Amino acid sequence: MKKIEARNIYKRFQNLEVLKGIDLEVSEGEVVAVIGPSGGGKSTLLRCLNKLETIEQGTIIIDGETLAKDTGKGAEYASTEDARRIACKMGMVFQQFNLFPHMTVLENLIEAPVQVQKRNKAEVIKEAEILLEKVGLSDKRDVYPRKLSGGQQQRVAIARALAMKPAIMLFDEPTSSLDPELTGEVLRTMRELAEEKMTMVVVTHEMGFAREVATKVVFMADGYVQACGTPEEIFENPTNERLKHFLNVIKK
Amino acid sequence: MLDYIISIIPQMLAGCQVTAQVFFLTIILSIPLGLLLAFGRVSNLSLVKHFIAFYVWVMRGTPLMLQLLFFYFALPSVGIRFDDFTAAMIAFVLNYAAYFCEIFRAGIQAIPKGQYEAAHTLGMSYVQTMRRIVLPQVFRIVLPPVSNETITLVKDTSLVYVLAMNDLMRTTRNLVQRDFDITPFLVAGVFYLLATLVLTVLFENLEKHFSRYDQ
Ligand SMILES: Nc1ncnc2c1ncn2[C@@H]1O[C@H](COP(=O)(O)OP(=O)(O)O)[C@@H](O)[C@H]1O
Ligand SMILES: [Mg+2]
Repeated sequence: MKKIEARNIYKRFQNLEVLKGIDLEVSEGEVVAVIGPSGGGKSTLLRCLNKLETIEQGTIIIDGETLAKDTGKGAEYASTEDARRIACKMGMVFQQFNLFPHMTVLENLIEAPVQVQKRNKAEVIKEAEILLEKVGLSDKRDVYPRKLSGGQQQRVAIARALAMKPAIMLFDEPTSSLDPELTGEVLRTMRELAEEKMTMVVVTHEMGFAREVATKVVFMADGYVQACGTPEEIFENPTNERLKHFLNVIKK
Repeated sequence: MLDYIISIIPQMLAGCQVTAQVFFLTIILSIPLGLLLAFGRVSNLSLVKHFIAFYVWVMRGTPLMLQLLFFYFALPSVGIRFDDFTAAMIAFVLNYAAYFCEIFRAGIQAIPKGQYEAAHTLGMSYVQTMRRIVLPQVFRIVLPPVSNETITLVKDTSLVYVLAMNDLMRTTRNLVQRDFDITPFLVAGVFYLLATLVLTVLFENLEKHFSRYDQ
């Protein structure tokens, strides 16, 4: 079953065309790595999927529900209520973590399940504690985010997104603002998620992760999907010139 | 001297009551109004935004004394008449709301965009985002400037004496003129100092409470 179907996405900022007819399909349990040079539109693509940015043209279907539909003269969005409900089927992890600083780790995790999904608080707390154990931060339950290292904050952010029981997880360069010695712990958590067959889209510069964990790799540059395929096709036998150049540059 | 002080205390306390009324009413009304104006100021309604910017400019750009006199003496000439207390309250609330508006605006704008984005991806509505995520952080940021304004207000209340209201300041002056004794000035000074001391301690505790997540 398709979890994400994005077709012919166009997005511009004022005069700058950033996405020029992007297609992206993600099936259940797939891990899609999105790679490419900075400024190529990778973040924008993720942000369009959950309506942090709105598209000019194209169709976006998330988990069988239409977020945006191409009418021929532009994209038509679902109602605000529906769009919000559809968008939060996707958990998102940001480069800058974006934890809520005025809430403890546990409060960060239970906020949206209790306030948005109106679930039973005691139950949500129990699940949150299990999630914290999973990301290895049970002992930080009552600590404020500022006291945590970057790697710990990012693992809390992953747990916070998972607390919503999302159908899909989106990651936008989750390790890019971490010191090198802290990226491992975050990548390990993401690997475990992939092993549990979570559907994931990961924008990343960690080629090792893309090669070993991803089931599909998408190479984006200049607002186009330049190449798309299995890790072997992308990394071992690249045919696209732009991709070959990119792989050469990052090897150095 | 002690006997004299005891003899004037009842009158001075009556003056304190007027001062306290002006103070508390101004705080209770101008903070919510200021917050409301701040939301207008950061909204994307261009007309509302510009109107509030103009309003803030006028209220902060002219003396509070002038505004007091305007609401009491100038408006009656166009047929709007207020008693002195009402005129004073209108001037104080409108004036302080302008200052609080700017404080809250700066506080709201200091919240990083990432906080709104995280709330969005968690499915929170605008109201939920403001109430649960943004405002609690704003309150912490604005506490020091709000504390400053509040302490300034304690002293600004004395301006109402131009409207012949018997606040602490005017009562004191009357006593000095009646008795040819400057002791009431000292007593009034002590009253103002006590009020600002209480507020200082109160705000320090609030700041400590709100900064627990920084440590
Ligand atoms: N909010 C925005 N306003 C204007 N331009 C933007 C905005 N966000 C991104 N851009 C521009 O869009 C292009 C693609 O950015 P982005 O999607 O962040 O690329 P990537 O994530 O691949 O580095 C860049 O040129 C960037 O400057
Ligand atoms: Mg990016």
